[in-house]
Amino acid sequence: MATVEVEKKTTLSTMVQAVRSAMIDEMTLDPNVVTLGEDIGPRGGVFLVTEGLIDKFGKDRVIDTPLAELGIIGAAVGMAMFGLRPVAEIQFIDFLFPGFDMLVSEAAKMRYRSAGQFYCPMVVRSPYGGGVRGGGYHSQSPEAYFVATPGLKVVAPSNPYDAKGLLISSIRDDDPVVFMEPKKIYRFQKQEIPNGAYEVPLGKAAIAREGKHVSLITFGAMVQLALDAAEKLKPQGVDVEVLDLRTLQPYDCDAIMTTVAKTGHVVLLQEAPRIGGFMGEIAAYIAETGIEYLEGPIVRVGGWDTPFPYALEKAYMPNVERVTRAIKKTLNF
Amino acid sequence: MQIKPFTDTPIKYLEYDGRPSADVKELGLSTDDYLRMYRELVFARAVDDRCYILVRQGRSGFFAQIAGQEASQIGSALPLRAQDWMYGDHRSQGSLMIKGLKASEWFAHQLGRMLDPSQGRLMPHGPGRRDLNMPPPSSTVGNQITEAVGTAMAQHIKKSDGITICYFGDGATSEGDFHVGMNFAAVYNSPVILFCQNNQYAISVKLEEQTHTKTIAEKAKAYGMEGFLVDGNDLLAVYAVTKHCADKARAGRGPSLIESYTYRYGPHSSADDDTRYRPKGELEMWRTQRDPIMRFRNFLASQKLWDEKKEEALLVDVKAEVAKALAEAEASPVPEMMTVLDHTYAAYTPQLEWERKELAAELGV
Repeated sequence: MATVEVEKKTTLSTMVQAVRSAMIDEMTLDPNVVTLGEDIGPRGGVFLVTEGLIDKFGKDRVIDTPLAELGIIGAAVGMAMFGLRPVAEIQFIDFLFPGFDMLVSEAAKMRYRSAGQFYCPMVVRSPYGGGVRGGGYHSQSPEAYFVATPGLKVVAPSNPYDAKGLLISSIRDDDPVVFMEPKKIYRFQKQEIPNGAYEVPLGKAAIAREGKHVSLITFGAMVQLALDAAEKLKPQGVDVEVLDLRTLQPYDCDAIMTTVAKTGHVVLLQEAPRIGGFMGEIAAYIAETGIEYLEGPIVRVGGWDTPFPYALEKAYMPNVERVTRAIKKTLNF
Repeated sequence: MQIKPFTDTPIKYLEYDGRPSADVKELGLSTDDYLRMYRELVFARAVDDRCYILVRQGRSGFFAQIAGQEASQIGSALPLRAQDWMYGDHRSQGSLMIKGLKASEWFAHQLGRMLDPSQGRLMPHGPGRRDLNMPPPSSTVGNQITEAVGTAMAQHIKKSDGITICYFGDGATSEGDFHVGMNFAAVYNSPVILFCQNNQYAISVKLEEQTHTKTIAEKAKAYGMEGFLVDGNDLLAVYAVTKHCADKARAGRGPSLIESYTYRYGPHSSADDDTRYRPKGELEMWRTQRDPIMRFRNFLASQKLWDEKKEEALLVDVKAEVAKALAEAEASPVPEMMTVLDHTYAAYTPQLEWERKELAAELGV
């Protein structure tokens, strides 16, 4: 009896596997997609995101580079202007800064300074965020620097499905994208994700949990913390809506205003220090545009305004207690 | 003459007085080629002089002269082909014009008019043109170096027959970009020419305060690359060495560093005062004894290809062409105020859409 092969339509995947799947699908579909970075060849990247890619696509398209982030991002800019779609991996986002100049002075400004003639369809993928005992140089959440640079897009997924779809959209986008991968949840959950390429649109937030009393707005690894806080408050009769921004630049103003209008209370959650942080922008946007909906103060929860610690990580990272306290602060106003 | 890397003295084909010191026939250049080369030198100097006046008149805000470096720029750009990429720096308009940038576009760039391919978005350092494979130079010293190497890596990956040339100054060799770019270029055997115009000053800092090596060319050794030292005021030598490196890159034999030893006559820019740092008599010596244009004119005269009458006719012709180019630039409109928001992203973001409305209200349009 002949066996019937049933083609599977989805695969149970972690975020690492989802990102890898996006890379494989896009590199298969578009010969102009290449990837470059440190240890991404036979080693497969330190988090194994690029595992097996070099065997599939060869050394010309999966490029192990010398140890120089300036060179990785600079070369990606030159490749992108030529017509490739490079995906640069920076091993930890904390190590991006030697290449920061190339990102903010070059990739971000090339379209503007050439009046639209040259542009950089490139992605800088990099794991970010705390909770992994990484200390100050393997834990930071530096989105504010990138968001404050016109010309860059900034994306941060919170789950495997979005990670694949957002990365594919980022690779296809004609502007440079900083793709921040929350390494704490790289292997936290598995989701059934579609085989084959699909897009999750940039610039669109998603409701991670519906609720009616307070809007908890966040992104990346903090989405899980937000959901945990929401569950904690449920027995107390507090119904929390969690908005996962997914794209930080350009952020989804409509989705933000919709949830704010619905609940009238806002808590903003990020891992980074609050001063000059990204959520300060969201707070300002809500205050400027939706003050009439507000029934309490906009409250921010973030890391402290210090460098990221090592042994004291637990004292630094936002936690359920801090989030619930913030929610009560605005609700009890 | 066999072009060799790491020579102790700069490679040259012409003596300072223009007499050939090597067999120039082996370069395969025709009389017409020579005459065109000379015209380009004279034209570049004339554009330069005109731009300087524009700044003095207050019609342009900034200008970095190339005077003194014409042979370095024109000689290195002539061996390139249309499919090749050129990354300039803030002082490379001589090369950009050889690649195809029109003088009228250059003047429009100085004046911030729409004829400027960058449409007034850049301080007048040099505009880019996509159809010429020429990205707009950056003001941050050295940024173009790793980009140029990336483009050369892409040319290799896509099996293009193009190569890339990247210009920078002696000061840029102190930046990390230079060292990282050199290393990447060598590791990937990229088809790139890293062309350093050593005019001996980074604004005011002299070369011996910039680096502890005797030459810049010798730095290439540390990266496993060939480094060539060429007399940057000898048009034929710059042409020969660049062509050698271009042929080498095209044949898949990798990158080269060229140090073009030259001298700038003007201050670093129109905002600089070079009398504060140049030793007395130095500028005069270069102007009167090593001028690249005079040197090539003397060469042409030694070959019985040039005389006073031809010189006079050329100067009249060039003057008219420069005036015509400037008039075209001046006839071009200034950019519309509303375009300030354009080209930030491929499409307007929601935030930029609000800003467009806000600006339109402010401008009453």
